[in-house]
Amino acid sequence: MAEFEPKIVAFLCRWCAYAGADLAGTSRLKYPPNVVPIRVPCSGRVEPAWVVDALRQGADGVLIGGCHPGDCHYVSGNYKARRRVYLLKKILPELGIEPDRVRLEWVSASEGKRFAEVVADFVAELRALGPIGAGSDASRVTRDEESTALRGG
Amino acid sequence: MSPKSGDAIRPSSRHGPRIGVFVCHCGHNIAGTVDVEKVAEALARYPGVVYSTHYDYMCSDPGQELVKRAIKEHRLTGVVVAACSPSMHEPTFRTAGEEAGLNPYLVEIANIREHCSWVHEAGPATTDKAIRITRAAVEKVRGNHPLEPLQIGHAEKCLVIGGGIAGIQAALDVAEAGYEVLLVEKSPTIGGHMAQLSETFPTLDCSQCILTPKMVEAARHPRIRLLTYSEVEEVSGFLGNYHVRIRKKPTYVDPEKCNLCGDCEEVCPVRVPNEFDRGLSERGAIYIPFPQAVPSSYTLDEEACLGLEPLRCSECARVCEVGAIDYDMQEEIIEEDVGAIIVATGFELYPKEEMAEYGAGRIPDVIDGLEFERILSASGPTGGEVRRPSDGKVPKEVVFIQCSGSRDPELHKPYCSKICCMYTAKHALLYRHLVPDGRAYVFYIDIRAGGKGYEEFVARAMEEDRILYLRGKVAKVFREGDKVVVWGVDTLTGKRVEVKADLVVLAQAIVPSPGVTELAQRLHMSCLDEHGFLKEAHPKLRPLETLAGGVFIAGAAQAPKDIPDAVAQASGAAAKAIALLSAPALVHPPEVAIVDEELCSGCGICAPQCPYSAITVEEVAEVNEVLCEGCGACAAACPSGAMSLRNLTDEQVLAMVRAALKEAAEVTSG
Amino acid sequence: MRAEDEARPKGSPDSMGPTPYVARHENSASPVTRHASRPKIAVYWTGSCGGCDVSFLEVGEAIVDILSQVEIVFWPALADPKREDLEAMPPGSIDVALINGTIRTEENVEMVELLREKAKLVVAYGACAHLGGVPSLANLSTREEILGEVLGEGWRRGPPPGGPEEDAPPDLLPRALPLSQVVRVDYTVPGCPPPAGLIGEFFNAFLSGEMPEPGYVFAKAKALCEECPRTREERVLKRIVRPHELLPDPEECLLDQGLICLGPVTRGGCNAACPQAGMPCTGCLGPTPKAGDPGLAMISALASLVRAGEEGEEAIPKEDEILDQLVDLIGTLYKYGVPTFCPLSPERERAGVRGKASPSPVPSQPGRGRRKGGAA
Repeated sequence: MAEFEPKIVAFLCRWCAYAGADLAGTSRLKYPPNVVPIRVPCSGRVEPAWVVDALRQGADGVLIGGCHPGDCHYVSGNYKARRRVYLLKKILPELGIEPDRVRLEWVSASEGKRFAEVVADFVAELRALGPIGAGSDASRVTRDEESTALRGG
Repeated sequence: MSPKSGDAIRPSSRHGPRIGVFVCHCGHNIAGTVDVEKVAEALARYPGVVYSTHYDYMCSDPGQELVKRAIKEHRLTGVVVAACSPSMHEPTFRTAGEEAGLNPYLVEIANIREHCSWVHEAGPATTDKAIRITRAAVEKVRGNHPLEPLQIGHAEKCLVIGGGIAGIQAALDVAEAGYEVLLVEKSPTIGGHMAQLSETFPTLDCSQCILTPKMVEAARHPRIRLLTYSEVEEVSGFLGNYHVRIRKKPTYVDPEKCNLCGDCEEVCPVRVPNEFDRGLSERGAIYIPFPQAVPSSYTLDEEACLGLEPLRCSECARVCEVGAIDYDMQEEIIEEDVGAIIVATGFELYPKEEMAEYGAGRIPDVIDGLEFERILSASGPTGGEVRRPSDGKVPKEVVFIQCSGSRDPELHKPYCSKICCMYTAKHALLYRHLVPDGRAYVFYIDIRAGGKGYEEFVARAMEEDRILYLRGKVAKVFREGDKVVVWGVDTLTGKRVEVKADLVVLAQAIVPSPGVTELAQRLHMSCLDEHGFLKEAHPKLRPLETLAGGVFIAGAAQAPKDIPDAVAQASGAAAKAIALLSAPALVHPPEVAIVDEELCSGCGICAPQCPYSAITVEEVAEVNEVLCEGCGACAAACPSGAMSLRNLTDEQVLAMVRAALKEAAEVTSG
Repeated sequence: MRAEDEARPKGSPDSMGPTPYVARHENSASPVTRHASRPKIAVYWTGSCGGCDVSFLEVGEAIVDILSQVEIVFWPALADPKREDLEAMPPGSIDVALINGTIRTEENVEMVELLREKAKLVVAYGACAHLGGVPSLANLSTREEILGEVLGEGWRRGPPPGGPEEDAPPDLLPRALPLSQVVRVDYTVPGCPPPAGLIGEFFNAFLSGEMPEPGYVFAKAKALCEECPRTREERVLKRIVRPHELLPDPEECLLDQGLICLGPVTRGGCNAACPQAGMPCTGCLGPTPKAGDPGLAMISALASLVRAGEEGEEAIPKEDEILDQLVDLIGTLYKYGVPTFCPLSPERERAGVRGKASPSPVPSQPGRGRRKGGAA
């Protein structure tokens, strides 16, 4: 059987992480093609609802890339992103999603290598996790799939 | 000219959006790994796309023509160019769209080069990713609204931070162009490190002789306000409309009255190391950094003084005949509106204390390059005679170590500090001129002498002045009696070298000036580079600008630079600032936050999220579009969905996410 | 954006405190031209606490006037007709069926499908029918866990000992569902229970024949902060407390005091009744039309508001301490909407509910799901 290929949506802040991904390109670094980047002005623009929506729409993981602490082009958007993701990760298990499927990473515009490494690492981690709801102990979804199909007539 | 490859694929047109997709080969850069034809085909079947094609170089003139013609012929309501990063050609294609009558904000770039073809191997997965990226861009365009840039006014002053040669040059250029300049320097005098230098390579001009006229010119210029002993404390605002708050520390000496007699320093009971001489001499608590300091006045160093509150000594005031000393002088807060900011905060030397292998700063006769400059300087602590710090003897054997702390990724700085090869050659040469019977050794890794007259200068030092250049790294420096022993290897002969030197001069790595990190944060300049130097907006094409609009950089604050480079960059930054200050109005991007008044309950959660205080809340929230930088923190925080970001709404992002995730088979328009 | 927001009924007041019902008499120039005779109504409860039935009394004396203008053909709490009588009615013969309660049992499904067949309009009445309601918090446990907890180990479904098979109680559905996930819903009167003003607004529209576009929710599009008299000064969250831990200041915004008030994400229409009484809003009127998932929207808002001094790296541990004070996330943020909003829940996927909380009628086929495991 072919290896499970996770799908990742990456919300990348245009000043740091997106530019870092650009640098990975200009440096011809190689990383797995599982990630589709979406450019946002700031990690502080990213809404928890987007992340969950992406996971509901078939993403196996969501990456949010922002500027390092202190470097946010908009001063503090990355701190807001951090708090939102912190709270989001607290509720994800309740929704049957492993919190590890959501990653917030600081990648500066000069860290092309880091961007490539982050993606490669995330892909490997998601491969190990498998698709959402498959084989995770914490997942209520799994249990429900077994026991809660609406009763047939 | 007709496209040489890639026939337009025209699916049945429908009502609603008419989006055109243009897939660029970028020669082999994209087409080498991505099946561009397949991308164009897949997008042709995507809902809302009425025209899809591919072409060798979309950014070329014929490529742009292709886009323009398609916009007209197919009455396109949106364009997606699948090509390189938007940081490259977004403006190109937006302009092309505009020229064909399409609002530029209806043109989007799908980055399938930097984010796809360059980072993945050729194959179906890479092509599939390119399709997903492009589909997401189509969804972005579908949700975009035509926008017009906002026009805004600006202040007509310029703030220059840092009074070294770069800052002085920038200030003079901007002032000469007719604009007011605030020149802020944290030490008591302008001049910077250049004032400390003896002579400059490769011409051997006396550094102070060429610098001081510029210092005086800056001080006298009617449009330059010199703020020494001052620091920029706060910067708020945005492109063209920065509000700055500067704290000027009290010098306790009235520069108007001070006649530089020096009586005050003579009676001062305090002795502290003189920073200007890199601690090789001492100064009083009241002092002047060097005789030609500008402003030409003594300064009372509050930290060093025995005490001002309560007054413990007052000897200086007693002897000051002109009554220049004022212990009640208060700090001043200066607030100004400026349109442009030039940051020229310069460099510092990597501390020799970091060099454990070279004695960690504990051997008095192991000194850094700037200390040696002071020793060489006619106005220096030794009066221009080469004498070593420990015992004042004239050193007969001097070892110069290049790349000390540079090009050493394991222990120190990985980068080349660029100027050390040249100044070490100069040091050795000047030493040989001053001590004709002395011997000079230079340990080097490579000689990097790129620059007008530079290679000739090094050759002259080697040949005419018979300086012994040894290619190799110094392993260890240690003290033995009154000698400093240098162990190294001459990699050209493969022999170990031991020199019992009288003096060792370390060409220490160049590092950013301390405090630049906090300053950069105050300026909202994102991303210092990994070494703490200021990061330019683009390393090649926008080297004078930063990502903060209206903030420019000059000099060694950006990277190690010699004087001509620093001066050239300063003039360049000044030209950028002048261009901004002379513009009748500035254009502000229209992709700002927008409130749906029908939905806003006035809960006020958005307002504190705005770093620019652009939101006020009465009945409903209101956005000051000029202040809004479009970060979207408010839109993300707004729980009711009333706050949104123009052309990046929730609906758009969700559609993009879906487009990025769906399998190709799921998204044909049938 | 949904049709319901543009299609507010004419004459619906801008500011919506309790709207008094406006009596219309049959001999006046009544706009009730749609109804040849008195309109026939049905009221039914499914998995409900009964509060919704009682809520009709909230409109006060006007209820007499309303009831005089309608013919009650089915209302178990109030009138005699039984299921057999309902089954005997011709399809479409009821003008409106007001259904409250969550859909929890097989019998609930049968009854609402029957009502759907017989009624021209179906109204989801109250938070349970609208979103799932408090009883749907049971979805945090599986059916087996619930029954095991209540009936003990070794329970089994069936008739009482010795009784005939048809006396077996109706089986629980695997999950509690809002009405719209079982039958098509035309209108919603939200609330736990619906506030008098919104009930009045519904009857005004219904009896006058000026009903808004289907899908309309009889509540405001703006969040209830708009109608909350509390003052908002410093919009930051320096701590998070639960209602029993604080005697709140009577003037200041509850959220500013650290109470998790869902007012900013919840439709107005109740005159901010709970916040006015010192209790934080728990979101019973449902999220505002563009809020999407109200729990995630509030997570974003609350995380944004948290401050432990100046934002910066040093503040991070303190910020996390504050964020950790938010406990029982599902119970706090999804008190009424677990089956509607809690993303990725399997039945939501099956029911085909997509994206933001869609009130659009979702044809659901509860009888045709996979049959697997369970206690059946």
